[in-house]
Amino acid sequence: MFRRVLIANRGEIAVRIMRACRELGLETVAVYSEADACAPHVAQADRAVCIGPPPSNESYLNIPRLIDAAQAARAEAVHPGYGFLAENAAFARAVEDAGLVFIGPRPDAIAAMGDKTLARRTVAAAGVPVVPADDDPLGYAGSHRPETGATSEEATLLVAAATRLGYPLLIKAAAGGGGKGMRVVRDAAQLRDAFNAAAREARGAFGDDRLFLERYVERPRHVEVQVLADHHGNVVHLGERECSIQRRHQKLIEETPSPAVDATLRKRMTDAAVAAARSVGYRSAGTVEFLLAPDGAFYFLEMNTRLQVEHPVTELVTGIDLVHAQLRIAAGEHLWLQQEDIIARGHAFECRICAEDPAQEFLPRPGKIVALHEPQGPGVRVDSGIAQGYVVPLYYDPLLAKLCVWGESRDAARRRMIAALKDYVVLGCATGIPFLLDVLEHPAFVGGETHTHFIEDYLRTWTGREHCRTVAVIAAAVDTARQRPTARANHHNDSVLQSPWTTLGHWRLGERG
Amino acid sequence: MRIPLRHKQSHLVVDVHSEGNTYRVNVDGEEHVVEVHILDDTNAVLVVDGQCQRVAIARDGKQRQVAVAGEVYTFSAESGAAMENVASVASPEISAPMPGKVLQVLVRPGDLVEPGDALLLLEAMKMESRLTAEAGGTVAEVRVGDGDMVVGGQVLIVLTYDDAPSEAN
Repeated sequence: MFRRVLIANRGEIAVRIMRACRELGLETVAVYSEADACAPHVAQADRAVCIGPPPSNESYLNIPRLIDAAQAARAEAVHPGYGFLAENAAFARAVEDAGLVFIGPRPDAIAAMGDKTLARRTVAAAGVPVVPADDDPLGYAGSHRPETGATSEEATLLVAAATRLGYPLLIKAAAGGGGKGMRVVRDAAQLRDAFNAAAREARGAFGDDRLFLERYVERPRHVEVQVLADHHGNVVHLGERECSIQRRHQKLIEETPSPAVDATLRKRMTDAAVAAARSVGYRSAGTVEFLLAPDGAFYFLEMNTRLQVEHPVTELVTGIDLVHAQLRIAAGEHLWLQQEDIIARGHAFECRICAEDPAQEFLPRPGKIVALHEPQGPGVRVDSGIAQGYVVPLYYDPLLAKLCVWGESRDAARRRMIAALKDYVVLGCATGIPFLLDVLEHPAFVGGETHTHFIEDYLRTWTGREHCRTVAVIAAAVDTARQRPTARANHHNDSVLQSPWTTLGHWRLGERG
Repeated sequence: MRIPLRHKQSHLVVDVHSEGNTYRVNVDGEEHVVEVHILDDTNAVLVVDGQCQRVAIARDGKQRQVAVAGEVYTFSAESGAAMENVASVASPEISAPMPGKVLQVLVRPGDLVEPGDALLLLEAMKMESRLTAEAGGTVAEVRVGDGDMVVGGQVLIVLTYDDAPSEAN
């Protein structure tokens, strides 16, 4: 096995991967940008290499600098974490070309799953259900359409294609992303106008007006399956995770098992996930994402060829350490787990703690962490990338930490999560903690009615949680009163008072009783 | 002691009477008996009418952030005079709500703007936000350019409003 691993990432995931490396007796090499010299992930590592200026594309996304750092620190393997270069086939190839072990899938598997149309075709050929779609409803096969809008013959073709697919459907730009060139169509009467509008928008945004049609799944859940595969063709799954609570198409709360998946459906979904992984010769940890429709039909969405942010919930119910598994698989070990060895117990939740303000459309709020208390207790796990005094840089993702809990049942885990969130203190930058509490206490969430429109439907107008306003007012008023010049007359020579954060010299230890 | 505080849009005057570690605190016309047990610079336990509650407080100038049971409140200490002036007026100075990078300045000095017009695109932590004019007026000054890094609170653009709010307000 390799003995020294470079972690090409930052924040909580770098800390978490280093922990696993240490547990397996491996040395760790951190990389950091100039904005991250004081970051907790650097303090955790055996060695650390600065890889450039703060912007990601000059540091954490800079492949040559990362390879240089790995060679300079004489690392033998590279773990990409998630985000940044984790799903970049060129990076995986560069790591292997440098004679290092890439802790993840083969580069061609990353590439095959990275191209969404190719991925869909590949898994469909392996019998995995995909969202019914018509890639080329007008038969242009890639050529550009005239800019005059659909003719009446084309409109007839469109209606025929749409009827074959069924309504409601989604018009999407082939070159698309970010919702541009996208339209939901509910009946034939809307089709032609929506098609022309989407083509115009796609032409403006991407210079490419090719469109395709896809069945629109209403109020879907987002359910994904964790798989583990070795170099020798063995593939197992570790059950599903439900990740429907999202804002801006990004997950906020995840749980396992899904409240919507029973044993029969689980068997079908996990079989499909294993087939999808096999279809690209997958190895390492990976996640197959599905849309689950209210009628129980499910469709392949994409495969994430990396460790997932929300992997801890799977670890909590299965007792299997996924990063240990990635490291051992990368070292060439045969999978030591049979499918029947993997048994999930109880229920787990994850809440993402981000530096953002839910009352202001989840806008990021970087700042200095002036007070931090992370919850603990039975069944509570915090994967954290911050520390007291740490300044959250504005260059990167706002994820600060992940709070995960385990409980014997969904409700036991949910109550444990609420207690842990109430115990969590982050001062200095806004976080979503108060919002997460309101989600967890919402009757629809309690009832397991989670779907991707949950926040939009139930908490769109959220402005704040103020259950303890009176106590907060009292605390602020008493604290202010204690620091009034009259109250501090006895202390005005106290040097502690000079420090900007410690005008609080009179709130002292030992004053109690 | 009368403590004037502002929380969001609301202005409060809280009466605090100290009797050693015990305080009588009047909030919104209701009196509470509060015992204060200090744990360290940031953390304390308040016993409010017999109910224990752990609180954490961070102080920055006149501002106090209070965390209690997963909720966070920001209070500003107010002087009596500021209390009288509660009507909010549009600020002619458009400042950065958070540190970030100026993606694009959308106006030039002399441009006329309508209420809600976009003035500048700011990016922080992979998110783009749009700063807009609160009222109609003219762009007096542009103090930043595309690609500039700015700090939270930095004035980026200065407007002259059509109905300039009088200083006497």
